[in-house]
Amino acid sequence: MRRPPLQKNHAYLGIAALLAFLIAIPFFASDYWITLVTLILIFTVYASGWNLFSGLTGYTNFGLAWFIGVSGYISSLLIADHSFSWLFAWPIGAVLTSIASIGVGYILLRIKGVYFAISMVALTEGTRELFGTEYLTAITHGGKGVPFVAGIKLSSLYWAILLLATLTLLICYKITSSKFGLRLLAIREDELAAETLGIRTTRDKIIAFALSAFLVGLAGAIHFTYQNYIDPSFAFSIHLTLTPIVMTLFGGVGTVFGPVIGATLFTFIHEILWAELSLLYMSVFGAILMVLILFFPQGLLGWMKEREILPRIRKI
Amino acid sequence: MSTKEPILRIEGVVKKFGEVLALDHCSFDVKPGSITGLIGPNGAGKTTLFNIITGVLQPDQGHIYFGGEEITGKKPYEIARKGVGRTYQIIRIFPKMTLLENLIVVGKGRERKVIEKAMDLLHLVKLSEKRDDYASDLSFGQQKLLSLAQVLMLDAQLILLDEPAAGINPTLQNELMALVHRLNEQGKTFIIVEHDMKVILGHCENVIALNYGQKIAEGSCSEIERDENLLEHYFGR
Repeated sequence: MRRPPLQKNHAYLGIAALLAFLIAIPFFASDYWITLVTLILIFTVYASGWNLFSGLTGYTNFGLAWFIGVSGYISSLLIADHSFSWLFAWPIGAVLTSIASIGVGYILLRIKGVYFAISMVALTEGTRELFGTEYLTAITHGGKGVPFVAGIKLSSLYWAILLLATLTLLICYKITSSKFGLRLLAIREDELAAETLGIRTTRDKIIAFALSAFLVGLAGAIHFTYQNYIDPSFAFSIHLTLTPIVMTLFGGVGTVFGPVIGATLFTFIHEILWAELSLLYMSVFGAILMVLILFFPQGLLGWMKEREILPRIRKI
Repeated sequence: MSTKEPILRIEGVVKKFGEVLALDHCSFDVKPGSITGLIGPNGAGKTTLFNIITGVLQPDQGHIYFGGEEITGKKPYEIARKGVGRTYQIIRIFPKMTLLENLIVVGKGRERKVIEKAMDLLHLVKLSEKRDDYASDLSFGQQKLLSLAQVLMLDAQLILLDEPAAGINPTLQNELMALVHRLNEQGKTFIIVEHDMKVILGHCENVIALNYGQKIAEGSCSEIERDENLLEHYFGR
């Protein structure tokens, strides 16, 4: 059943070559291409981060934009108003978001299914209102948003997000093949059974939730630095939650490389549709989504594993 | 812990669901190394008692001691780690995980040791050839065996089985009960909820009968059998 070592080496060589190519992109590609790959990498982290928690535990997080927005706001305000360097502002935003997510998880991860999903939507919407309210204008600039320049070159920003995406995938790869990853799957399969078999389900869920918040938050901070702008409706937009979920559904929920494939393909589709048929964009997007859910609920990689085109192992 | 000391002590446990008294001042002891049958009609409180022992439900009154230590109010995972394992009447395994994963996930300690132990247990329940199949691909009876293997992976000293014989063919049923006896000889204590009196009388040393949440009879199998009139009254055999 084991794949021959030669094939494994090929896989490592392929990944190394791809990584070398991605690192080299700023040396030869135009800004358009650097920008496009930057977006792919940002959404790769969003989708993988969502998958790391929701794909494994089965708790559908409809508040991904909360991670993105909170961390994005903290880092953007630190850069814009408190003259922090991006180098410090990004990790501070991500760490604070992750800490806040522990509190949120402690309260909300007791409720299951659709109730958890709705609570996360409500939290995101409420936080959007909070950041937009005129009473907090002195701190948040209110609803009119924060334009800022972080003084980072596009190529440096690109390498930063490339590093983060690589780390995120490495973490996901390690977790899915670890006992921690199996415990998260057990929570998805039957939480009560897991608990009576000695698994600390609440602790494991919160750890995964906080890790997801950290990775997604870091990508969010980079995202808004790249945009040079943040405002409440953009930072906490439902699109920032839904797009990574759709990407993950396409690639394969609970797989390691599914979210990457989804993020790459959907960013390209978005580019093409937006440029060629901007008016039809949402309806075409919706149609693709319906076909996916009806015919490939397990996603591309899940479908390939089922037909044994790929080995049925968790590491892919 | 001396051998005389009960491994499990239930003391005046009361549990209400709204107006319904599911357990009504229920008390009994379980000796270490015994196999105890828990009988009673539907709704007598047997499963509720299992849920209270394992911390899934909290009693309104009363105390539960395991190995002399009070475990009332502890969380299910804490009680499990102390050595109380259970299977469910409706099987609860992890369907979309492989058999091997179903066991590894329960194990503690070094990965190599955990995998070794998981394989040993799969051999024990004769499912080692299916180790890479999803648990959902197993038959109902095989799933019961896997569920028992999970409990053994936990190193449980006290094992609660909720209707282990129900719904599986006689061959597998015999295999499962033979396994229970072998584990019992190795020192594991069992409490078995079962409707089939043949299983209870054939395999248990002691029997506790519940009705309306109260203990109505307790004794050795022969005593309970002699009490048949009483049982007939309650079970309508």
